[in-house]
Formats: sequence, structure tokens, C-alpha cells
Amino acid sequence: MNAIDPAIHIAAANIRLDGVSKSYGKLAVIPKLDVEFRAGEFTVVLGPSGCGKSTLMQMIAGLERVSGGKIVIGGREVQDLEPKERGCAMVFQNYALYPHMTVFDNIAYSLKIAGFTKIERRARVEVVAKMLGLTDYLERKPGQLSGGQRQRVAIGRAIVREPAVLLFDEPLSNLDAQLRHDTRIELAELHRRIGATTVFVTHDQVEAMTLADRILILNKGEVEQYGTPKEIYHRPASVFVAKFIGSPPMNILAVTGDGSILRLSDGQPVVKSDLKGDFQLGVRPEDITVGNPSLRSDIKAHVRYREDLGSHSIVAAELAGETVRIATPFGSDAPDFAVVSLAFPPDRLHLFDMQTGKAIPDALSAATKE
Amino acid sequence: MVENARSINLAASLILILGIAYIVVPLYLTLTTASHSYEFMLQNGLVWSPGDQFIVNIKRIFTETWIPLQMLNSLVVAVGTATVMCILSFLTAYAIVYFRARWAGIVFALILATVILPLDMRFVTTYQVASNVFSPLNAILDVSGLNDLIATVFGAPFHVEWSILNTRVGLIAPLLAHGMGTFLFRQFFLTLPKDLLKAARMDGAGPIRFLFDILLPLSRTSFASLFVLIFLSGWTSYLWPLVASSTADTQTAVVGLARLIVEDSAVPDYPLIMAGAILVSIVPLTMIALLQRYLVQGLILSEK
Repeated sequence: MNAIDPAIHIAAANIRLDGVSKSYGKLAVIPKLDVEFRAGEFTVVLGPSGCGKSTLMQMIAGLERVSGGKIVIGGREVQDLEPKERGCAMVFQNYALYPHMTVFDNIAYSLKIAGFTKIERRARVEVVAKMLGLTDYLERKPGQLSGGQRQRVAIGRAIVREPAVLLFDEPLSNLDAQLRHDTRIELAELHRRIGATTVFVTHDQVEAMTLADRILILNKGEVEQYGTPKEIYHRPASVFVAKFIGSPPMNILAVTGDGSILRLSDGQPVVKSDLKGDFQLGVRPEDITVGNPSLRSDIKAHVRYREDLGSHSIVAAELAGETVRIATPFGSDAPDFAVVSLAFPPDRLHLFDMQTGKAIPDALSAATKE
Repeated sequence: MVENARSINLAASLILILGIAYIVVPLYLTLTTASHSYEFMLQNGLVWSPGDQFIVNIKRIFTETWIPLQMLNSLVVAVGTATVMCILSFLTAYAIVYFRARWAGIVFALILATVILPLDMRFVTTYQVASNVFSPLNAILDVSGLNDLIATVFGAPFHVEWSILNTRVGLIAPLLAHGMGTFLFRQFFLTLPKDLLKAARMDGAGPIRFLFDILLPLSRTSFASLFVLIFLSGWTSYLWPLVASSTADTQTAVVGLARLIVEDSAVPDYPLIMAGAILVSIVPLTMIALLQRYLVQGLILSEK
């Protein structure tokens, strides 16, 4: 944590979920969740739509009741408390600003309810407005603001109460690409300045990778992986994570081990290993090197199409009946092969269990070291 | 279509002019008739030219008829129905939209049923209930056999009566049972950002505070629209006030106007009646003129 803004006094608190579950009738959205969000960290909850990430956030906020388990914020059990008693603030996807109130009143509303005097309210709102560059807009109504400005008002409304926990529910999804990029940087800077424990829900992997101290990947209400962006990217804990992070996503191929070597389903050898049985092999598009097709030891694949992105191109090739995407460093002047020879670097391969999809750590690196 | 635009325009204009004439000519005749004396009308029949007796006729309305008092009744009925309906509709729509009530869907369907089954269709039963508010209770006790039980235990069956006929409550209450307002507010609430309530809860506002601080200020236009619509329909409603009040001092102005035609006399005093009609129309006309904007908005909202 860098220097925390002296004007905002946020006492960041950790959030602990102890066996939290949520079900609507018979439908269990979150079966059972044990996670801790560390104090002052920026945690991104990432997952496809319907994975329970918004439900999780609303349970932390107190907008949804838990079906079971405990939520502890800063050592205090809060699962039965009203939202206002939990010390959380939230930024909503569509901002949910009060349309009839000025920016000032929007930001000051929670302070008014909490019983702050007019002078205190003005002082606090002015600090927040200055921080977010909203000073000139305080007397405007939300309808007169641009998307990015509304976003900042929503953030201002959240941080004015100096919450221990700041919750973001897909706050960037309504912005256009350029504004989204700018706001992402603003959010990262804001987090450095105020240091509140931040939980940020999104389905956008770029937001997760760039903003997070730690990423929690949810799938069907269960934790797939919880770690730093680096860990998530370089050591995915499951096929789900491997496919979810990275663009284009990791290639997953079925391989079979005979005790000495792992082979693709069409018999081509991939990597030496003493493992026996069926596995899923993962390799990132940028880790595959494309070689000269005349090299006999390499894996041969038929090129199906090429996407030229100027700086590099993505080649989709057919290998053992599956499509493999390769990020090649070649620009627009890449040679147009019909057949390419691929090299899979043994230290950049990931092996997953065939049935569960869970990673088998160090299975290949151990074999290659011998 | 495009080639024939001119001829279509011509035809459309003609139809429109005919329509306008159909509405405006009787209005004009109302004005001219109201400006002549009864004797003049008896001699000349319908007159197309305006006369000089308008003020006299208006004065006669104030001195010879119940219309001024009945206009006050109308005002009470129209303002009463509009006010109560606005409050009721706002609250029911709030409950239906923002609370996860188990039966919200069924309740809303029942409320909508009042739109499909308006007062005119429930006329006889409504009259029965108005003549004795407790008649449904009495009927249930009779049919269920409970009254036989009560009769054997207490010596007499349970039977109470309370008539609201000829009262202002009786005039207003049945007009209130209409779901349009609830529907209008519901549609409006659904257009608001759905996270508004959550945001208010995060800010520490409870349901009541949300209602007063957020929802009420946002609903001002809807209130105005609904008020105008209900006021106009309350002011002009005829059938229910006709049967709900039988004495001149409790009747509404529209009913009073019709009663100016004394059935026995050969030719009714049309100039007097027309002057009354003009007087009675002034209130809704002023309302429309001033609040036209809200009236249009209300019509659009309720048709969505």
C-alpha cells in the first residue's frame, strides 16, 4: 500500500466468508464458500454470468440474506445486520444515482441519513468531489452528466462514508471501450490512495488481470482458483480457469501417456513423461512456437485460418481433430503455410486431470528435469 | 401511398373537418341557446345567432337551481377520488414493485381485473353494498349457516346495516375501486433504474425513507397525470352519482343538470340548462387548459 490519502480516513477491514451458502428454493446458487478477502486488497471476483458472483457481492453488502454460514467483516459477524450497519459501500452497474437530486445531494444523501450536520456534509462532499474531479459539477443533476462523470459520482457516493469495504458490481460494463480503459486506471489510482478493502465483480478478464491484487474465480458458486493474477495466468488450477483467462484462451488437447511419452489422439508425440493414462494438456497460444515444416521432430498441424492483427497474428490450426490457436509473432507479412510445424515448450505445458479438470501440478516439469 | 399523398391529405382533412364540425356545432349551439331567454327560444326554436340573455341565465342558475351547491359536491367527489386514488395507487404499486411479496402477481392481476370489470358492470351489486355496507358480511353469515348458530345462542341472527347512499363517502368509495392508477404507477416504477432501492439501502435508507425521499419526488409527474385523469372522470361521472344520491343537495352537478329537465313540462328550459352546462364545463376545461401536459403524459403512460 502506498501513501493513503489523508483526507479520507478509511480503516480497511478484512472480509471472511465462513461456509456461506445461498439457495433460491431448491436451486443452490452458492453451495458453500470459504474465502477471505484481505484488508486493503483489491480483490476481483471473476466468473461467467450466472456463477453467483453478484449474489456473493449482494450477500456481503447485505442486500441478499445468506442461506447459511457466516460473513465476518473486520472481526464482526454481519450476516444478520442491515446494509447500513455493515460499513460497506457499493457502486452499481448502472450507477443507480438518484435522478432528482443534484450531484452534491447524491453524494451527501448517506451522510444526511446518518445525521451529519450541514457543515460536516459540505466539508466531506467537497473533499470527495475534489478527489474525483467533480467540484464543478456539484449542482448538476445526474441527467446532465456523461457516463464517466456519473460513474465518478457513484464512486463518490460510495467513498464519502469512508467505508471499510468498497464493493463494485460490474461498474465498467456500461462504458465504451476508451472510457473503460481510462476508468480502470482511475480506479487503480483511487484504490492506491484510499486503500479500502475492495471487492470488484466482473466477467471481464482484462479488468481482473489489470486491477486485481488477487482474483477469485467462481464457477457455479464454487471457487475454481483464488490467487494473484500472475498465479492465475501462469498456474491455472483447472481447465476452467485456463480457458477463462487469456485471449485467445489456452488450448486444451487430449493426450495419452504410455509411461514414457505423452501422445496426442492422432499418435503424434508431444512431451516425454512417465505418466500413464488420459490427460488434458494445456498450452497457451503465445507459448507455442511455429517452426519450419521440414523439421521432422515437431508436431504437424493444418492451418485453417489466420487472423492478422497487425502486430501479430493468430493462427487457427487443426491438430488431432481439434482447433489449436497459436499467437505468432509474425505481422502481416507472415508466410502462408498450409501445414505448420509446432513446438510445445515442455516447461510451459499444463497438465489437467481428464475427469475433474483439476491441474496436476509439476507433473511435466518433474519429468523434463530428469 | 406516396404518389397519392395529396388526395389522401385532402380526404383526411375532409374527415377531420367533419369530425370537428360534429363536435363543435353542438357546442356552438349550446352557447347560442344559453344566450337567449326561454320565451325567445319557445318562439324561434334553435337559434344560430347569439343573444343577450347569457348573464341573466347564469344568474338564474345561481338563484333558481341547486347547480352551484352541486358543483361543490362534484368538486368534493372529483378531488376526493383523485386524491385518495393517487395515494392508494402509489402505495399499492410500491408494494407490488419493490417488495418481494409472495402473492404480488395474483394481487396485481386482481387489481387489473377492476379495469376489465369497471363499475358499470358491477352496478347492481355495488348499489346493494352501498345501500348496506355490511350486506356481504350478512350474506356470508347467512349462507355459511353461522347465523343459525348465532340465532340459537344469542336469540337473534347477526344483522347490521349501514347505508352510505346519499353521502359523499358513498359517492366516492365505489369510484375508487379501479386499478388504472396502480397500473400507471407500476409502469412508471418499472422504468426507474432497478438498483435505486438497493443504492438507497446501502446509503442507509429504510423503505419509508426511500418512499418519501426518492420515489415520491420522482413520481411528481405521474401524480399530476393521474390526478388530472381521475379528476376529470370523477367530475363527469354520471351513472353512479345518479343512483348513489337521490336528494338534490347531495347530487353532483352533472346529475343536477339532467334533473333540470322537468319531465312533465312540455318544453324544457333549454337556455337555463345550457347556461348550467357551460358553467359546469368550466372547471374541467380550465383543468385541461392548465394541465394539458400531464394529461397527455398520463394517457401515454397508462397505455404503455
